[in-house]
Amino acid sequence: MRPLKFYRALPLAAVVSLAAVLADAAEPVSPAAFEKLHALIAPDAGEDQWTQIPWRTSLWEARVEAARQGKPILLWEMDGHPLGCT
Amino acid sequence: MGTEDYIAVAADDWYQRRRQDAEGEFFRRVADQGPRKGQGGSTRQGIYCLTADGHLLAYKNAGQNPDVMREVLSEGLARWAKLPESQRRPGAVEIGSPESVDERYSRTLPPGGLVVKAFTRALDPPEQGDTADDAPACRVEDEAAARDHLWLTEREWRSLIPTNACEGQTLSVPAEIAERILRFHLVDNTRGEPPHWSREEIRRHELTLTVLETSPSGTRLRLEGSALLSTAADPDRADRGYDVSLLGYIDYDAKADRISRFDVAALGEHWGQGPYTRGARPGRTPLGVAFQLADATSASNAVPPQAARDLHGYFGGRPR
Repeated sequence: MRPLKFYRALPLAAVVSLAAVLADAAEPVSPAAFEKLHALIAPDAGEDQWTQIPWRTSLWEARVEAARQGKPILLWEMDGHPLGCT
Repeated sequence: MGTEDYIAVAADDWYQRRRQDAEGEFFRRVADQGPRKGQGGSTRQGIYCLTADGHLLAYKNAGQNPDVMREVLSEGLARWAKLPESQRRPGAVEIGSPESVDERYSRTLPPGGLVVKAFTRALDPPEQGDTADDAPACRVEDEAAARDHLWLTEREWRSLIPTNACEGQTLSVPAEIAERILRFHLVDNTRGEPPHWSREEIRRHELTLTVLETSPSGTRLRLEGSALLSTAADPDRADRGYDVSLLGYIDYDAKADRISRFDVAALGEHWGQGPYTRGARPGRTPLGVAFQLADATSASNAVPPQAARDLHGYFGGRPR
């Protein structure tokens, strides 16, 4: 990633040449910022509330359970698994 | 509602609409009662409320919209309540074992394998005034993280741990693991099913493991590197690309003989979109990917990687 922070502090010409020099390499992730970056990308607990639902992953097993408990089935079906590509 | 009133199940329509077995036939029989009849093999995705014996109660194709999900659930419950008690009571319907299972659409993690969660998030540049210790990006309002799973076989994850390691030693990440991470997990899946990178589209990469600590109780490794993934050799001419750096930490617990930490973050500029990921932000914009160890025994973590539809290709073979 280009050093976006530096862009704001440098004159345009300097930014252009700096960008050209760095164009072939992404900015390294700093060890000091690693934990914050990782937490920034991963979901927060509040963001992930829907994962608290006990989703089954087999429709057939859901049928068996629904029949035994006397409940209807909620099937969330997407191109790309809802629990794996959303 | 989803927890108390329903038996909730999630599935990938790509598998369900193709499988030629009892479950696939059951699903298609339910879907045929709604508007998505799968003409020409087309998608049947959506939110379905149904009975165990295959009566469709409610349906809508609404993706992740919570309001529409609530509406469908309410509609389904209202129709369920109108069914005779003799059809609703526990045990009213008997479901046996499936008569057939289409193994072509069955994906399971090989025994001893490792599941790593992979989250992807569209990001913005950092706030003005941030220091080097701050995160080098910030969140985009209302943009959720996308998710996938990285699978490593037991042989593969063991290959990450150098034998006779000494502190400071640096090695390359085993080629098959590097390729899997780069091709299938450094992708923009934040708006739907992403295109994956071909081998040729890995234009440059260097991923290394450095031994930080080693003792009889285990080994701690730092994974770091960078990659340029792009649809053209000249990234300025590529309609899609990702110029990315990675840093992370992998711990091996020798006593438990298992990987106990797999925290890796990737950050770079992504540009372009795929056929099913329209609506990308214009130009090059920050995209982050975070990996973390998953509980392999959890049902939701057993969901196969998106790219494992071609299981052979995912594990390093040529696509079939």
